[in-house]
Amino acid sequence: MSERVGERGIPISPRDGAPDSVVTVASLTKRYGELVAVDDLTFSLQAGTITGFLGPNGAGKTTTLRLLLGLAEPTSGEALVFGRRYRELDRPSRRVGAVLESSDFHPGRSGRDHLRALALAAEIPWDRVEEVLALVEIEAAAAERRVKTYSLGMRQRLGLAGALLGDPELLVLDEPANGLDPAGVHWLRRFLRRFAEQGRTVLVSSHMLAEAAQTVDHVVIIDRGRRVTSGRLDEITERGRSLEDVFLQLTGGAS
Amino acid sequence: MALLRAELLKQRSTRTGLGLFAAMLGLVLLAVLLHGFGLPAEDLGSTHVQLMVLGRGEFLGVLFAALLGAMSITAEIRHGTIRSTFLVTPRRGRVVAAKVGTSVLIGTGFGLVAGAVAAAAGIAALRARGIDVQLDQRDYVLLVVGSAGAAALWAAIGVGLGSLVRNQVPTLIGICAWLLFVEGLLAGDVAGGLGDVGRLLPGAAAAAVSGQDPGTLLAPWVGLVVLGSYAAAAALAGALAISRRDVG
Repeated sequence: MSERVGERGIPISPRDGAPDSVVTVASLTKRYGELVAVDDLTFSLQAGTITGFLGPNGAGKTTTLRLLLGLAEPTSGEALVFGRRYRELDRPSRRVGAVLESSDFHPGRSGRDHLRALALAAEIPWDRVEEVLALVEIEAAAAERRVKTYSLGMRQRLGLAGALLGDPELLVLDEPANGLDPAGVHWLRRFLRRFAEQGRTVLVSSHMLAEAAQTVDHVVIIDRGRRVTSGRLDEITERGRSLEDVFLQLTGGAS
Repeated sequence: MALLRAELLKQRSTRTGLGLFAAMLGLVLLAVLLHGFGLPAEDLGSTHVQLMVLGRGEFLGVLFAALLGAMSITAEIRHGTIRSTFLVTPRRGRVVAAKVGTSVLIGTGFGLVAGAVAAAAGIAALRARGIDVQLDQRDYVLLVVGSAGAAALWAAIGVGLGSLVRNQVPTLIGICAWLLFVEGLLAGDVAGGLGDVGRLLPGAAAAAVSGQDPGTLLAPWVGLVVLGSYAAAAALAGALAISRRDVG
């Protein structure tokens, strides 16, 4: 039996459900003592999609993303990116970019130095730092300033710049629209669409349904650590039901 | 090598290191000059007391190098940059190793400067009061080079402790409390119980490396081996702990 080989020659493990899965989450479970934060969660993402990872506060979205990115270890099950555990990826920042918190900066360091330190560690040339700064529309003078002077919107964009340093194929964003003004939200939506149009993949968690409905083409909805539904947005919202209706009904939030 | 350069840039791009260095320098001058001008002339005449006064450089170099090493990891945890650091370099042991390397390098500088400034200020104070300086070249070399070595190794201990404890404030308070207070209690005031074991504690070993108090402390090279063992154990324990634990 010959081993199947995926894009860039990365072997695809035969247990993967779909051969071109960018993300494969299978029976993923994470317990903290008695609390089950993620409960037997299974889903996968295909290349070129923008998937909204939706759920009420405390549903386990952030925990799932941390498990996927190797920052936390699952109690059981697995979460794979490009068929491998994140921590086993070679040069992971060239394949996956992620923003988990909008405030993950040293307040006394300039935005540019923040990116340059990441670039050094990832062995990415500093020219790329200037490219991503331009991409997220942070001007040179602002990049010189210390992050403590940045607005929340600028911090969100600086975080995104860090995630884009390695020109990744997969972008993982946790609540990226939090604190953005309407222009910022609009900018982010256009940015993610262009990103996905290049055949790349986005996984974006949110609890802002109206915004998500305008940006994503697929959804995975979880509640209390379990998946309640997943699929194409247009299939889930057919027969005139809004994403909000579906969400509230499935997560028990309907009044 | 790439990770070392990244860690060096992290150190250079905030004011933390400079602030620690300035505080250390101010305290070295304060301590040495207070002792040098404050102690009675008859006490300051002995080699033992002169080594003790000039050895304030070693002590403060060690203290601030340890704080710098600890902050290299605890500040990342506090501000959340540890997440992007570990996303870029998921092999966390390598990150800890690069932090040890960088902190040892900067700690060496801290120790060198603290040792040299303490020696220069101490001699100046003694001469100003017309007290004969009893120290020879070997003493000076040990005070300066030994202080650099002790501070370098304590910087590694700081990285290890910071990786184990993770929370910044308890880590820094723990280091200060140990060096300023706890070890002195264990080794000195409660000496009956510990006896010679007190010489093997990491603060005493650091003082031994810079050649202080040869009557009661270890020989400098033995102190270096003992302190090096602490540094290796702390760095290894820190690397293992932070590799196994979840990042919040």
